[in-house]
Amino acid sequence: MKKLQPWFGLLARLILGGVLLAAGLLKYQHLDKSQMAVRAYELLPISLANFLGIVLPFLEIAVGALLVVGAAVRISAFISVALMVAFVIGISQAWARGLSIDCGCFGGGGQVEPGTASYLPDLLRDGGLAALGIYLFYYPRGKFGLDRHKLDGEDNHG
Amino acid sequence: MANQKPGKDNFTRNLVIAVVVGVVMIMLVPTLLSKKTNSSALVPASVSADNGYGIAFNSDLKSVPVIDIYEDFQCPVCAQFEKMQGDYIESLITEKKAKVVYHTLSFLGPESVRAANAAACSADQDNFLNYHRALYANQPAENTGAWTNEALAAVGQAAGIQSKKFVSCVTGGQYADWVNNVAAAGAKANVNSTPTVFINGKEIDRNGEYFSADKFKAAVERG
Repeated sequence: MKKLQPWFGLLARLILGGVLLAAGLLKYQHLDKSQMAVRAYELLPISLANFLGIVLPFLEIAVGALLVVGAAVRISAFISVALMVAFVIGISQAWARGLSIDCGCFGGGGQVEPGTASYLPDLLRDGGLAALGIYLFYYPRGKFGLDRHKLDGEDNHG
Repeated sequence: MANQKPGKDNFTRNLVIAVVVGVVMIMLVPTLLSKKTNSSALVPASVSADNGYGIAFNSDLKSVPVIDIYEDFQCPVCAQFEKMQGDYIESLITEKKAKVVYHTLSFLGPESVRAANAAACSADQDNFLNYHRALYANQPAENTGAWTNEALAAVGQAAGIQSKKFVSCVTGGQYADWVNNVAAAGAKANVNSTPTVFINGKEIDRNGEYFSADKFKAAVERG
């Protein structure tokens, strides 16, 4: 089990980081749309939503890239979990209030035709990603990462 | 390899973190600034900041309904809306029964930006409505590269715009800053899909009023 742990850490990093990186890059292509997606949650004041719509893709790209290369894993994992919790809250409240929106998770977003919105798959995905983030926060050590951990030193003995 | 100190290789790690964070910040700041309204942008004649930088018709009329249409020339649903309600809206303009403001958003990509710029150029030639109609009639699939500036100029010529000034306005992206201002104003107005229609500042009902000729007409007349 102990032997497998660094490999699992690598897998978790690649999945969580890869998803964040992809999501950020897709949003970055259409920042107007990204702003629209955040506004459509009807949760934040318009000006703050517009600001967040631009900042969010950059944050996702940075955190995703750091996770993939395995640098500053612990803090990146913490930020990822915070993001996922925020997404889950945003999507849940949209669902509960009966808004018809596209989550805008991977670009896109904004209002959709009434009755065509689907929230459950997004919630399940974000919940799963949050679980990976929590794991990485407690066990940030993984294969091929740039971070150096105490245990790595021990591995190198002899 | 005995007793290799953990942290020996931290230089690479710290460099990578610095580069990632640095590059993202360097990209972010100009992006944030570029989304701000540029008050010195060149704008077409009928446009003012009060109208959210939209192309306005019958701005001088009082006591008529004000119709704000937020659209993106690449959006297929906008083309359906134009097909359904376009003639009626144009008749409201020509019969001076409403003030109509067209907000040409561009969130679908660079071809939307080019099309919006070209539409502003057509407004300079007093031919916005014809050109608007022609763009939707010739709408290609989204972001396939069909709407080059040259193609957009050719659509104008087919719609009866002869002027050389129009062509240079389209190919030179003369109103690019204005297109950005329209987008920023749309974001401030909380427009979250296209088409979005406000009548006297209030959005019409998404369950029916957009795509029923009778209901749309009733909404306009109700004001």
